[in-house]
Amino acid sequence: MAERYSATEQGENPGLGFADIVRQHQAMVFSIAQHFLTDRSAAEELAQDVFLQLHATLPTLKSEDHVKFWLRKVTAHRCIDYQRRRRVSQISLEDAPEQVASTHSGDLFLEKRVRQLIATLPEKPRMVVILRYQEDMSPEDIAVALAMPLATVKSHLQRSLAMLREKMTRTIGEVVI
Amino acid sequence: MNPPNEDMKHIDEFLKTALRREEAPPGFAEGILARVEQQPTVKPKEEHVPWFHLFSRPLVRWAAFATVFASLIAGSIHYRNVRREQAKGEAAKQQLMLALHIAGSKLQLARSKVNGIQTSQPDHERETNRSRSKS
Repeated sequence: MAERYSATEQGENPGLGFADIVRQHQAMVFSIAQHFLTDRSAAEELAQDVFLQLHATLPTLKSEDHVKFWLRKVTAHRCIDYQRRRRVSQISLEDAPEQVASTHSGDLFLEKRVRQLIATLPEKPRMVVILRYQEDMSPEDIAVALAMPLATVKSHLQRSLAMLREKMTRTIGEVVI
Repeated sequence: MNPPNEDMKHIDEFLKTALRREEAPPGFAEGILARVEQQPTVKPKEEHVPWFHLFSRPLVRWAAFATVFASLIAGSIHYRNVRREQAKGEAAKQQLMLALHIAGSKLQLARSKVNGIQTSQPDHERETNRSRSKS
C-alpha cells in the first residue's frame, strides 16, 4: 500500500480503515505490552492508548509496514515509560517461592517460569528480548525501533540470554535444558 | 550437560514459545473504536506560516518592491531639499558676517575720526584767541 492513510478515509464511515488496522495488529500490541508488563489490565489499557495515538497519527503514516513499525516502536517506548513510572517491585525469582517442576504440567510451568525470568530483566533488555523472540525482529530493526545503537542491542541480547540460561539452569535444571 | 550451542537452541525455542503472541481480550477492538468515537473531532492544526512567506505572492512582492523604491526616491528628494536649505542658510550667514564686518570697520573709522577732531580742538581755540587779541 503506497498511499498514505488519510483522515478522509474515515470520513463517511468513521473508523472503517482504522478498525481493520486495530483488528490486524491488536494481538501484536497487546502481547508486547502483556509480556513486558506482566499485568493484563495494564497491558490492555496501554494497548488501547497506543491505538488511540495511532488514530491521531494515521494520516502521517505511509504504508502498512510503516504502521506496523510505528506500532511496535510506540508500544515499546510506552511500555518502558509506563514501567519507569510505575516502579513496582519486579517479580524476583529469589523472593518468589521456589517451585518444583512437575512432569504433568511441564510445558505450562516452563512457559510461566520463562516469562517470570524475562520479567526480572531490566527494562530495555527485556524489551529487546520481547521484540526479538515475540516479533522475530532483527537486531537492526530493534535498534531502529528503540533508538539505540546496534551494538547495544546485541549486547543486551547476549547478556539477557546468558542470564536467562544461567537462571533457567539453576531453577529448572537439567531436566528441561 | 548439554553443549552450549544445544543450550542456546533450547533457550531460543523456550523463549519463542513463552513469548508467542496472545489474543487480545474479547471486545478489545470494539472498546478502542468506541473510545475513538467518543473523542471530539480534532481540528487539524493550522499551519503556522512565517511572516516572510507573504512575499511568496508576486503581487505582494511587487508592492513591497514599489514601496521600497518610492521610499528611496522620496528620501533622496527630501535629503536634497534639506541640503539646499542648509546651503542657503550658510550663504546668508556668510553675508551677514560680511555685513557685520563692514559695519564694524566703518564704526571703527568713524570713531577714529571723532577722536582726531577732539585732539585738534585746543589748537583751533588757540588760533581764535590769538586773532581776537590782535584786533
